[in-house]
Amino acid sequence: MENIEKKLREEAKLLLAEKRVDVIIGYEKGTLPFTATPCFITDPENAEKLVWNACCVQNLAKFVHDVISQHKESQKRVKPEDRKKKVVGVVGRGCATRSIVLHLQEKQYDRGDVVIIGVPCTGYIDGKKLAVQIGGEEVLEGSVEGDQVKVKTASGEKSITLKDVLADNCLTCRFNNPIISDIMIGENAPPMDPDHEYDEVGAFENLSTEERWAYFTKEMGKCIRCYACRQVCPSCYCKVCFVEQSQPRWVGIGADETDTQVFQLMRLFHMVGRCVDCGSCSAVCPMGVDLRKFLKKLDKDGFDLFGNRAGSSMDDPPPLSTYKENDKQDFIFDP
Amino acid sequence: MEKRSIKKETLTGIIKKIAGEMRVFAPVKEEDGVFFRVLGEGVEPQINYANTKNAPKNIFFPRTEKMMKYTRTDKGMEFVENGEEAKDAVLFGARPCDARSFVLLDRLFDQEKYKDPYYVDKREKTVILTIACVHPPYSTCFCTSVGGSPTSEEGSDVMLTDVGDSYLVEFLTPKGEKLLKYFGDTQADADAEAKKKEIAEKAASEIASHVPAKEIKTFLDENFEHPFWDTIHQKCLACGTCTFLCPTCHCFDISDEVKGPDGVRIRNWDSCMFPMFTMETSGHNPRPSQKERWRQRTMHKFKYYVDMFNAISCVGCGRCVMYCPVNIDIRKIVTDISKL
Repeated sequence: MENIEKKLREEAKLLLAEKRVDVIIGYEKGTLPFTATPCFITDPENAEKLVWNACCVQNLAKFVHDVISQHKESQKRVKPEDRKKKVVGVVGRGCATRSIVLHLQEKQYDRGDVVIIGVPCTGYIDGKKLAVQIGGEEVLEGSVEGDQVKVKTASGEKSITLKDVLADNCLTCRFNNPIISDIMIGENAPPMDPDHEYDEVGAFENLSTEERWAYFTKEMGKCIRCYACRQVCPSCYCKVCFVEQSQPRWVGIGADETDTQVFQLMRLFHMVGRCVDCGSCSAVCPMGVDLRKFLKKLDKDGFDLFGNRAGSSMDDPPPLSTYKENDKQDFIFDP
Repeated sequence: MEKRSIKKETLTGIIKKIAGEMRVFAPVKEEDGVFFRVLGEGVEPQINYANTKNAPKNIFFPRTEKMMKYTRTDKGMEFVENGEEAKDAVLFGARPCDARSFVLLDRLFDQEKYKDPYYVDKREKTVILTIACVHPPYSTCFCTSVGGSPTSEEGSDVMLTDVGDSYLVEFLTPKGEKLLKYFGDTQADADAEAKKKEIAEKAASEIASHVPAKEIKTFLDENFEHPFWDTIHQKCLACGTCTFLCPTCHCFDISDEVKGPDGVRIRNWDSCMFPMFTMETSGHNPRPSQKERWRQRTMHKFKYYVDMFNAISCVGCGRCVMYCPVNIDIRKIVTDISKL
């Protein structure tokens, strides 16, 4: 991992020094143990800050979309002959590159707008799982050493197997190496365990309608409408989200729990064939809403019905924006 | 001031007894953490917890609250006040930082000239029973930097301090003394005061985070425009986690929910982090990007509130530090500003 970090910093520094990119979006060390936080580097000297480890959580494609679209927006106020291009470099793990593929397929920006520094990924730590392992105590210090996570809390030091605290989406990840990249750092990472990716969904599907609805309402009952899930999602890039439209207003913000359910349901349905299972929404939720269960079900449907896995290949277009004569449609009449 | 001593193991029973007679909000363990909830029958209030995930502000200032109802009739609009008066209640198990947050919120919601009836009604009828932090629960706690302390009595009506084998129970206000009857007749030891002082000093010395929060006012006064404001916001997701979990953030939005001729006017938490927060009807947004929104949040807590109410609008609980999904750390922001 250290080697990857070293090469990553070298490549990032070079890209910035040679002005092949205007900014590098990566991760830097956070202020709390086991945190890495998104960073935006423009000065080649600051490339030293970049880190790549099991604490890097968020899908950086969200920021790629933000930076490019904000730049394009600002260029509208510039005379055509004076307009500048902005090239964004990004540290891209498998899921982030899937999102970039999706952005490209959805014509959000051009391939030339982004330089992908591909990194192999062996998964990130799920803070909620870690908290369970250490009995909810505060982490005072921590480090990842090989396949062991060393944690220091007020009651002492503990060593935990990394695998036991990796995020669920990482454990069963099918695409833990970049789908596309311009520069690849290090060797491809060994495969995770994709054969079991739908185990939980399978169990959920086998529940009765009432049980599934009960689970949905229980989970959505926790939501405080902070919109962290939507904000962190690379696929949620609508300029104005339907929950914020006021003419007409589609959903209320008050005490009616169906309003929150409608927000989450609509967001979920907007994710059909567009969720790359990066786990960011679940990771950032301050209330621990299990969003992934529902997203994974949609992902499974997308694959079962259309053979599609979002962003897995430039040649595999999103199912809802393509039409094939042999598309399955019986689910429309017999859901 | 009345002081009692209770055996530690009796506390849960006392709280449950109170809960049998009036509404008690208490820290309750749920699958994703500890939250303040109405203590239901058979539910254990948490005693030895670090701090809750949600701040208790929602007890006086709910996330969504009805203000009035109205109906369109042939004769015009008919308005009806919300009419739901608050009942006597107890907030048990607040931490001193959270109890102190109410003193700060009072300065806004309960001014001489302007009173927020919804907040004031609930606030006046609720007794706040605080548990002092004998050991600061988190290394991110920084209450001592913003005018509080792990054993601060500000905002509390009753204060419980773990003095080893028992709790020292101090009844700090007449409102708090209403609960006297539940806490037995054992007077606190004569040396309880000295013991508490010792505990307070030790607890304060254990606070690990020190933030120069009081030193940045001058910079903020003079630097509405400064390159520093370009350095915080880029990674901000523009979600509401920090403001919604914050004990002192209090911005709200008012909206109407209408069905046919009937409407309800409600107010809901809002967040300066949301792009919609300052969006004007014309489509113009005076805070067009996350940069201006972050400047606002910093200014509001460490300058505007000080200007208006002579207090920093932060109690140092550290929730925003712990739960920000992208690790935007207010301690770092303040420290960085102090170095400029």
